[in-house]
Amino acid sequence: MALLTISGDPASRWEEVAQAVAQLMHFELVTETRLAQWMIEEFGETPLPARAWAPAAVAVLARLAREHPLLIALDGAEHLFRPAPWVLRTRITTSDAHRAGKLMLDLRLEKSEAQSRLRELDAERKRFRKARFKGASSASAEAASFDLTLSLAHIDAAEAAEVLAAAAARRLDQQGLLSPNAADEIEFEMRLELAKRGIVPAGRARVTRASFGHPSEEMFANLLDFYRIQWEYEPRSFPLQWDKDGGVTEAFTPDFYLPELDLYVEVTTMKQSLVTRKNRKVKMLRAIYPHINIQVFYQKDFQDLVFKYGLKMVHS
Amino acid sequence: MTPAPDNIERILFTEEQVSARIAEVAVEISEKYRGRDLKLIAVLKGSVFFLTALARALTIPVKIDFLAISSFGGPSQGPTPGLVRIAKDLDEPIHDEDVLLVEDIVDTGFTTRYLLQTLAGRGPRSLGICTLLDRSVRRIVQVPIDFRCFEIPDRFVVGCGLDHRQLYRNLGYIAVLDPERG
Repeated sequence: MALLTISGDPASRWEEVAQAVAQLMHFELVTETRLAQWMIEEFGETPLPARAWAPAAVAVLARLAREHPLLIALDGAEHLFRPAPWVLRTRITTSDAHRAGKLMLDLRLEKSEAQSRLRELDAERKRFRKARFKGASSASAEAASFDLTLSLAHIDAAEAAEVLAAAAARRLDQQGLLSPNAADEIEFEMRLELAKRGIVPAGRARVTRASFGHPSEEMFANLLDFYRIQWEYEPRSFPLQWDKDGGVTEAFTPDFYLPELDLYVEVTTMKQSLVTRKNRKVKMLRAIYPHINIQVFYQKDFQDLVFKYGLKMVHS
Repeated sequence: MTPAPDNIERILFTEEQVSARIAEVAVEISEKYRGRDLKLIAVLKGSVFFLTALARALTIPVKIDFLAISSFGGPSQGPTPGLVRIAKDLDEPIHDEDVLLVEDIVDTGFTTRYLLQTLAGRGPRSLGICTLLDRSVRRIVQVPIDFRCFEIPDRFVVGCGLDHRQLYRNLGYIAVLDPERG
């Protein structure tokens, strides 16, 4: 088994479970943003036609899964692969009351507002899945698309993660990684599908680990992992200044993006000159992109962690 | 007044100030929850001192319960930080109860968010937060705080349940600890 898919209802905390399983199993976590990056590396910047998205994604994932066990945490990920010994497709669900409760906490909404937002999210999800995975939106098709469904109504995300990790470990133990022959077969099938649309995978997408610029960034990543908060390292740059021809002369790349909280986090270092420069960039980013949420985590906060628990900085 | 250890830089709030402010917040809580069954939930170990002082100042009947979670970089975590988890669960269910989570300090919001999510999943009638200290300057994850006793600056503080390597929890006041002298 080399592929584990996890998806779930909006606000069911499936992303948190996925993050925890990836950490427990040492699987590569494939989020929507990470896959989008691989798709750009593989097929270029021009968006693919809607119908080509799924075979293109499968072609990339099957190739990478030969060498790296992947945990694919995408809405609708279960529809990417047919049932097979090398894939375990799982779903996280919970009661509407719990889902509304999560929105109340995360978005600071009143109960009625949260219920209304939940209905909107469910409708958005339905539209999204219908557009991306043709004919996959009926309830019976959805139920048949999973090997394992777990409800968080009476167990917490950590317990769910342990159950899924145990199931994945058992499959991995029995099946091993995706065999080269099976991967070739899937890739061939998908390339054929893509060739009909004149699309050829470039074979450039690679699994790269976050290479942290500073030990404090690695510790912050550990802190997020500890709290099962999904993160992406430097996923986006924001232009801050342009020359008269419209060329970007200054940009800012926040260290982390937390998709579940829709929040960017910049981790500062000890050097005051760098702190001042970063603060200036954060201020500019807030002015130019007022809809972007960004917080600064200061080196001093790490000092306190180190001070309180006697931790050692992990050098990258 | 409890004598100050050598590595205390300064006292932020005296015992008298802490007691007076807890009494004020207790009045607000008593008014809000009058006629309802309130359960105070404290997170071990830091919140115990605040829970005790708060409960004694409340003028409504309350139940109490405790939970504990693993700490980041704690001794059981090994070389990697592991995952946050409940180390000691509540003794009783909280379904359909009015619950007030009692915290010693809220700073980044990571721990509080985890606790709120965990407790919200158990179906309480209502769920609020009361914190002794709010270091909002460090907030990364926004959490809804219903009652706060003190907003504090971005300094390392001890006392009233807050520790440095398990020490100083028993100080009756809130003090800034000097890392250089620690």
